[in-house]
Amino acid sequence: MLVLLPLLLLAPIGAVACLAPALALRAGRVATLVTGALFALALVLAGRVVASGPVEGAHLWLRADGLSALVTLVVTSVAFACAAYGEYYMPVVLDRERAEDRWPAGRYEALFLTLVSGMMLGALANNLGLLWIAIEAATLASALLVGYYRRPGAVEAGWKYLLLCSVGIALALLATVLLYYSAVHVLGDGSRGLHWSVLRDVAASLDPRFVKLAFLFALAGYGAKAGLAPMHSWLPDAYSQAPTPVAALMSTALLATSLSALLRFHAVTAACVGQGWSNGLLILFGVLSMVMATPFLLVQGEYKRLLAYSSIEHTGIITFAIGIGTPLAVFGGVLHLFVQSYAKSLAFLVGGSIARGSGSRRMDQWSGALEASPALGTLLVGAGLGLVGLPPAATFFSEWLALAGAFASPHRGAAITALVALVIVFAGLTFHWGRMALGKARPRFKDLLPTASHAPLWALLAVLVLLGFWLPAPLRALLDRAVEVLRS
Amino acid sequence: MNLQLPDWLPRSNTVNLLAGAFLLSALYAAAQRRTLAAITAYRFNSLALGGIALTVAFATGAHHIALAALLVIAVKGVTIPSLLRKQALRGGGALETEPYFGVPAGMLVCGALVVIAFSQTRALFGSGVSILASCLPVSVATTLVGMFLMVSRKQALMQVVGLVILENAIFLAAVSLTYGMPLVVEMGVLLDLLVGVALLGLFVSRIEQTHGSGDTTKLSDLKG
Repeated sequence: MLVLLPLLLLAPIGAVACLAPALALRAGRVATLVTGALFALALVLAGRVVASGPVEGAHLWLRADGLSALVTLVVTSVAFACAAYGEYYMPVVLDRERAEDRWPAGRYEALFLTLVSGMMLGALANNLGLLWIAIEAATLASALLVGYYRRPGAVEAGWKYLLLCSVGIALALLATVLLYYSAVHVLGDGSRGLHWSVLRDVAASLDPRFVKLAFLFALAGYGAKAGLAPMHSWLPDAYSQAPTPVAALMSTALLATSLSALLRFHAVTAACVGQGWSNGLLILFGVLSMVMATPFLLVQGEYKRLLAYSSIEHTGIITFAIGIGTPLAVFGGVLHLFVQSYAKSLAFLVGGSIARGSGSRRMDQWSGALEASPALGTLLVGAGLGLVGLPPAATFFSEWLALAGAFASPHRGAAITALVALVIVFAGLTFHWGRMALGKARPRFKDLLPTASHAPLWALLAVLVLLGFWLPAPLRALLDRAVEVLRS
Repeated sequence: MNLQLPDWLPRSNTVNLLAGAFLLSALYAAAQRRTLAAITAYRFNSLALGGIALTVAFATGAHHIALAALLVIAVKGVTIPSLLRKQALRGGGALETEPYFGVPAGMLVCGALVVIAFSQTRALFGSGVSILASCLPVSVATTLVGMFLMVSRKQALMQVVGLVILENAIFLAAVSLTYGMPLVVEMGVLLDLLVGVALLGLFVSRIEQTHGSGDTTKLSDLKG
């Protein structure tokens, strides 16, 4: 309990501090310090969960099990990297904005930390109502950040994101109500009937009709938030228009939080009606997301939109692997949820530097990145390896485990479809990356950001590669605990 | 309060009447081409919702439901409609000039949706659910009408009205299925919804600034 409280309170306090006039001009540094402290606390929490099982608090309103600890690690580590990078990136962006369009100092960082607070609460909430409130709060904060630039495209993206996700989240509220209703007969009314851990323990005596209906609405609602096809249409617009650190955070941390909300419903449903029913739906929508994303990945010309479709594909892989349900596949899926966050956030952030340097968001203007800036080029190639799942990136390992698990299961057809989609994505991304990294450097290219801004990027790359070779025993134990959450 | 007995609450005429007002106000909103009139309809929709929750609270003697009902009336019946109204007046009381469906065709669709909702809810939930029996099909019907309102209109603000009506319908489902969620949750949800509508209003005015009007069909810069 003692570790949960600062995890939840630090970010909102930091957000308020950023708005204080005394700190507003140094808000970037405040955000970095706060997210850094959160990351350290998340490591403590993960250690606690590995050593002695779930950490509970506030009369079961909060609870950290393996899955929550893993999501907390993703959220805090990526937020740390994004805040550290944003400290250098956002001032450069600001210089190019028209003066009347600029936000007051500190407001961006305050919203950034509000988004982080929402995700932390979402990761640690055990009460499904609280979980809903947290994810909705994160959605609202991120919608404002998507509309950060006042250009027409950003307004359009923010509007679509807010409206579509509001409908999605309304459906998720209905799912929460239905699950609560299915439990009222067992648990009576009161907040206990919304506590996830309580619901899972009594899952066998819940009314299966309502549990199934609740899962369907949760799939539509939280699935839309996580970016599962066909509810993904807001996603490429939002990611391409949001400021780069925000896009990186949304495509990894917010995805992990929303997906884990959906997986909580899945766990209760599987415990109630048996493995199989909700697993089938997860496989279906996972594979559908992978297949839908591939053609857009191939023909994409804009870097951030490419990453958005790649993000849909990775969500698909995770959902598919967890749907397969065998220990190996679920382990692969959970590992992928973890390691793909580092590949994708690295890809977004290094793209931010290169887009500033080349003055264009389109990939055909980026050729010769390796020659123009060896450091940025190397980081870009590393991110690419992570996105396609090639060694030495850890995503190779996780995708391989997921596919091996899938082929060993009865769902061969889905496994083959997923494999074909992965191969096509591999070909497409290799082509795009070859064009960007190799070739003759553009003479105009100039890295506008100080070299210090590379540090968070190298850290992300180091994690991505290191985990490809070596899975530390505590992390392995944490992943096992997360698998237990989804399979028991 | 004992929830094991599904039939403890007699089918109250007050609740039936209010549920009727709830559905009719949603249909009235769907029949409007003027955004301001639709917002007024939404206000009555919210008041009917608050009334149903209050009736349930009196019938059960549960204070937390009464408190939640008052919050619903304050937030959904007063604050959100006046926010939307202010936004509509700023945009010159936007008129839906070319909806995808004309009003008569739209009404026919809504009628069909209501019939589907009433016939299918019974099939889905069975007759075992007799608590507030009149409310559940109304809630499903209003959900569908709200969604229809969102997809059939081009004006950004009208789509927001559709969304808030949809949310009202989900609240009604919560009230009729479980007499509302725990108070803390309900308060958090209402706060989020309030902020959400404020943000949607902000985006509507930005759309009007950047695109010249609240017509969402002009939002087509981003593709592929």
